[in-house]
Amino acid sequence: MSKVLLIGSPNSGKSLLFNRLTGLHHKVANFPGITVDVSTGRVPDLPDVELIDFPGTYSLQAISADERVAVDYFERSLDDPDVSHVLCVVDATRLEKSLYFTLQVIRESARHGKPVTVLANMMDVLESHKLSLDVEQLAVELQAPVVPVSGRSGKGIDRVIAALRGDMVLPQTWATERSVDVPDEQLRVKAHKLAQRFGTSGDVLIRNQTRLDGIFLHSVTGGFAFFFIMYLLFQSIFTWAAPLMDAVETVLGVAADWIVPKIGNQTARDFTADALFGGVGAFLVFVPQIFILTFVIGLLEDSGYMARAALICHKPLRLFGLTGKSFIPMLSGVACAIPAIYAARAIDSPRKRLLTYMAIPLMPCSARLPVYTLLIAAFIPASTALGGLVGWQGLAMFMIYFFGMFCGLLVTALVSRTSKDHHSDLPFVLELPPYRLPSLKPLLRTCWNRSKHFVTKAGKIIFAVTVGVWVLGYFPNFGADLGTSWLGYLGHIIEPLFAPLGLDWRYGVAILSSFLAREVFVGTLGTIFGIESADEQMAPLVQHIQNSDMTLGSGIALLVFFAIALQCISTLAILAKESGSSSLAVKMFAGYFLFAYAAAVAVYQLTNLFT
Amino acid sequence: MNTNLWSLKSGDRCEIVGYDDALDEKYRIRLMEFGFHPGESVSCLQSLAFGAPKVYRVSNTVFSLDDEVASHVLVRIATPHE
Repeated sequence: MSKVLLIGSPNSGKSLLFNRLTGLHHKVANFPGITVDVSTGRVPDLPDVELIDFPGTYSLQAISADERVAVDYFERSLDDPDVSHVLCVVDATRLEKSLYFTLQVIRESARHGKPVTVLANMMDVLESHKLSLDVEQLAVELQAPVVPVSGRSGKGIDRVIAALRGDMVLPQTWATERSVDVPDEQLRVKAHKLAQRFGTSGDVLIRNQTRLDGIFLHSVTGGFAFFFIMYLLFQSIFTWAAPLMDAVETVLGVAADWIVPKIGNQTARDFTADALFGGVGAFLVFVPQIFILTFVIGLLEDSGYMARAALICHKPLRLFGLTGKSFIPMLSGVACAIPAIYAARAIDSPRKRLLTYMAIPLMPCSARLPVYTLLIAAFIPASTALGGLVGWQGLAMFMIYFFGMFCGLLVTALVSRTSKDHHSDLPFVLELPPYRLPSLKPLLRTCWNRSKHFVTKAGKIIFAVTVGVWVLGYFPNFGADLGTSWLGYLGHIIEPLFAPLGLDWRYGVAILSSFLAREVFVGTLGTIFGIESADEQMAPLVQHIQNSDMTLGSGIALLVFFAIALQCISTLAILAKESGSSSLAVKMFAGYFLFAYAAAVAVYQLTNLFT
Repeated sequence: MNTNLWSLKSGDRCEIVGYDDALDEKYRIRLMEFGFHPGESVSCLQSLAFGAPKVYRVSNTVFSLDDEVASHVLVRIATPHE
């Protein structure tokens, strides 16, 4: 089995070529903590060849940690005796962007004695504008064969296969020894000269791009387009994903109804119903959201709009230490932090990505909504002011949503100003690729891989914690009474912790169980108060809370606590996997707990002063 | 007239003269890799409102740069007949 490396700069159409060469025979490996994915696939026409698709990179001179990993992996692969060939993709329509990198790849490959074939991609675009590229002469200058191809139409793929078979005879004059020791500076000058000689000139290739940018980046039409597209994105994860999420729950419910009654032992039956189906359901329900958000973001990236959206948002977000690319993950976080953390992969600067990770859990996610609804209904009067124009409950909901976003931006602003680590930062130099129609197949492949990553990586952690919490709530009285379970006992132990918020052990238990998912708080509180289906019908629970001795201060303190605290095991699990750092997840959990607790105590004490 | 890239307005063209010393070495290298070489012609395609990053064209590629980068790229504004 020989290996072939496929490498190229971003936006060179490399993924489409990979898909063309491998069909659907591939798998993806992920480097934890960075945005780098390496796909490997079999080429059907060459059964003994494995194609390795490297992440797009602009240079072999890495300037960020992510790039370093990709470049190191490429250089290590060149040492691998099984690697027989390197395919380097260039965008034939924009040679000046790719040639320096290509010359670096040719030099490094020559050092390791590996042959390189340059794939001049997007020839269909050149031909559609009646332009051409002198591939023979370019090959002579690069000292490597150049194959004109089109990833979109598939034209030229047979010649790539021929090159990999070794059917392409290289001229004797291509003595690679000469290029082995050429320093980067000389390669840069050579690339510049070659681009001027072989690159296309004139406006024809960017005419459409300039015209569309005139609309999408215009201060009026661009603003409308931005809000409309972001609205659709938000709808996709909030509304369109809902039926699919319901379907997952229904399928699991039907399966549980079918399997559970067949189990004889009561404990085994409860475990299967609540821990197994409950636990699996707790994370499988996020898969449609992850799939849909990845799909929509992929559409935005492939169409070229993502870069424009990042440009539009960059300036205001920079004030808070973020980048324009942070906007979509943060907006997604208003629906759910889990797909939002995946969406942060689009941020190439490791420092900005870390700051975005910190902001996402503070976005007011949909799981907080039932908690907010319950507490606001219990403590804020349903009356209105200004002739019905302002409803106090609506205003309270708006304020708590805004409070979460404010806290997220406050945290990133403070951390970015106090942490001086600029080594993992990247300058804001953003390529605005041409607008293109997205290709569905590679996009669906990415969505599938992302969903699979969630289920196989984060799913294990989420499931383990779900089982742990179930055991605590079930034993030693076998599910008879949550109040006298180990979880109830823990609630009593931590009661002094919540006493400064005016909360007793029952709220402590509900907060502990809400670690599985925030909305579990409502159901648990209902169970403790002896109210059936409190998560579906809140009114009796609201009544119960109002009749208890809980004060307005405690209610507002709980709202503030839930707005800040990161008690969501799914978010923490995916944060640990995506950042490659379990300690980051633990630190964020502890940090936000302390922040939430301190803010809640302060709010409780302040409210008590005025009531 | 010598100035920096950030000062260009939509429709302006210039030639890159060099980079100022405040620009981090790795950023300078990355800009050169993108095609922002001294001597290269650059045009400003769009200068957006509220200090948003500007859009520049180098050869057939379009980039967006914010003021933290563009203000360190030294340029000579091209006269209309250039």
